[in-house]
Amino acid sequence: MQQIYLNRIEKAFTVSVPQKGNRLRGIFVREKRKVQALENITFSVEAGELVGYIGPNGAGKSTTVKVMSGILNPDGGECRILGRTPWREREAYVGHIGVVFGQRSQLWWDVPVEDSFQFLRDVYSVPHGKYLDRVSQLSKALELEPLRNIPVRQLSLGQRMRCEIAAALLHSPDILFLDEPTIGLDAVSKLSLRRFLKEENQKTGVTILLTTHDMDDIEALCQRVMTIGHGKLLYDGSLEALKEKYAPLHRIRARLSQEWGSEKGLPALAGLSNLSIEGDTVTAMFNPRDFPAPKAAALLAEAFSLRDLTIEEQDIDQMIAAMYKEMSL
Amino acid sequence: MSAEIRMTASPPSKTAPWKAYFSIFRIELLQKVQYRIAALAGAATSIFWGIVEITVYTVFYRYADNNAAGIAAGMTLQQLASYIWLGQFMFLIQPHVPGEFTQKITSGDVGLELCRPMRLYRHWFARLAAINLSSLPVRGAMVLLAGIILPGGYRMSLPASPAGFAATLISAVGSLLLCTSYGMFVTSVRMNVSWGNGPMFILLLVPGVLSGTYLPLQLWPDFMQKFLLFQPFAGYADLPIRLYIGSLAPSDAVWAVGLQILWSGFFIFLGNLIMNRQLKNIVVQGG
Repeated sequence: MQQIYLNRIEKAFTVSVPQKGNRLRGIFVREKRKVQALENITFSVEAGELVGYIGPNGAGKSTTVKVMSGILNPDGGECRILGRTPWREREAYVGHIGVVFGQRSQLWWDVPVEDSFQFLRDVYSVPHGKYLDRVSQLSKALELEPLRNIPVRQLSLGQRMRCEIAAALLHSPDILFLDEPTIGLDAVSKLSLRRFLKEENQKTGVTILLTTHDMDDIEALCQRVMTIGHGKLLYDGSLEALKEKYAPLHRIRARLSQEWGSEKGLPALAGLSNLSIEGDTVTAMFNPRDFPAPKAAALLAEAFSLRDLTIEEQDIDQMIAAMYKEMSL
Repeated sequence: MSAEIRMTASPPSKTAPWKAYFSIFRIELLQKVQYRIAALAGAATSIFWGIVEITVYTVFYRYADNNAAGIAAGMTLQQLASYIWLGQFMFLIQPHVPGEFTQKITSGDVGLELCRPMRLYRHWFARLAAINLSSLPVRGAMVLLAGIILPGGYRMSLPASPAGFAATLISAVGSLLLCTSYGMFVTSVRMNVSWGNGPMFILLLVPGVLSGTYLPLQLWPDFMQKFLLFQPFAGYADLPIRLYIGSLAPSDAVWAVGLQILWSGFFIFLGNLIMNRQLKNIVVQGG
């Protein structure tokens, strides 16, 4: 069943441009400029999907989430989520969604977490029995038990984020919007958060849409990826296909047992491209589809005497950069 | 496409019940009364001012030509002492726009508030009411205690009559309502981010002056008395205090409280109007 449906959503912000040169002129004359934050955004999401929404800073990710959570009016286009238009029926609508903005808190700073939970129970009219079940369930999954009586201000970022997620799920929403939920978290916290989200999605069937800069988030969680850049939807499909299209190459990096003298020049190695040597490190790119990784490794081992070897995929920034290049943005 | 969409039934609306707003009131009050040292320091300030004011008025009353000066407006020195202590007490519920609100408005966190199925106006109204009330349990109680235990001319008298006391209590609730309504009106105005703090400060300063907590309204010039009695901010403090010290008869409470409710209704209407308009063009700032 289709739960989220956006059709040609547009949003522009007007910003004043400071005057160049004489700043005082800015008091009398203001130049306004329109910034197109969202342009013709169209997509739909089925119930129970776990979708990653990626793109660089300022691409329009958060703006899309804000439109979908009903707190921002778009300038044009149609949006139906759970059968409602978010910004027109905001109050009726937001009871069915949960939202977490990674850089903002929805908990009460100076009182124990438990008090915030009880407040949310009253806001969403969760029956008391159901509330207790849900809290104990979430506490177990997110290991909140020792945190519930501590004022929020005393929690670490990782602890707070776990509480934020629990707070957004207390009322068992149909859809969960996560805006950079793993921002600033350490590796362990990230891992446990991802595990939890995946389980929650499978167990309760909650639709999750998350924005992130962290490719590992996407890799661990999402079957489907949407990429946005300069307000335009650039890609919508599986992660595998995305990688194949924009980041087909893997990088192989090897440490040599001794420095490679520059006078020796570079050996020609068929199958590897962009070969370069700096000090004792060799890097090269290869396409694993026509040239399997073991072969690439063997090739390097033959040509050099190696100490260490790593193979990695291209990271998200390079992928986006490649995408921008293709779209000539 | 859209026909297909229309077929998916929308789930029932889940707007927050009134209980949620009481819940906010409770949690905000709990949060605010935690700061006991601040409350004690504040109480010292209030009591200090109370003593200074009473001293100054005592000098005026003793050496001024009362008949000529018009202080015969019907306020005895004893009534004035009570007025000062109650004024210091009622002063504590006068609204300001809390830092949390302005911070949320300028940072765009107000968006998070909108992610809950609540009317933002009611949500913040409940919080503001709690904030306005939160100084009373400790700081306010200390002020009244000082008024009760201080000796001689500094002592606060008993209420003019039991009925007057009851009327005072009812009118004090009216004051809280009025202060919160007006505070929400100013908050709504403050939501215009590009205006900054200036208009807010002016809007908050005027009521303080007109509330009688700086200079009891009965001591203002005669020709202003009618205006002073009916302007909205007499309801902040002056009306309930007059009921206490007997300048108004208990039967006057009907129109005094009526006036408070009327002005509250006016500011609630205005605040809602402005806030709804602001929310329509709100730009939720930041990434």
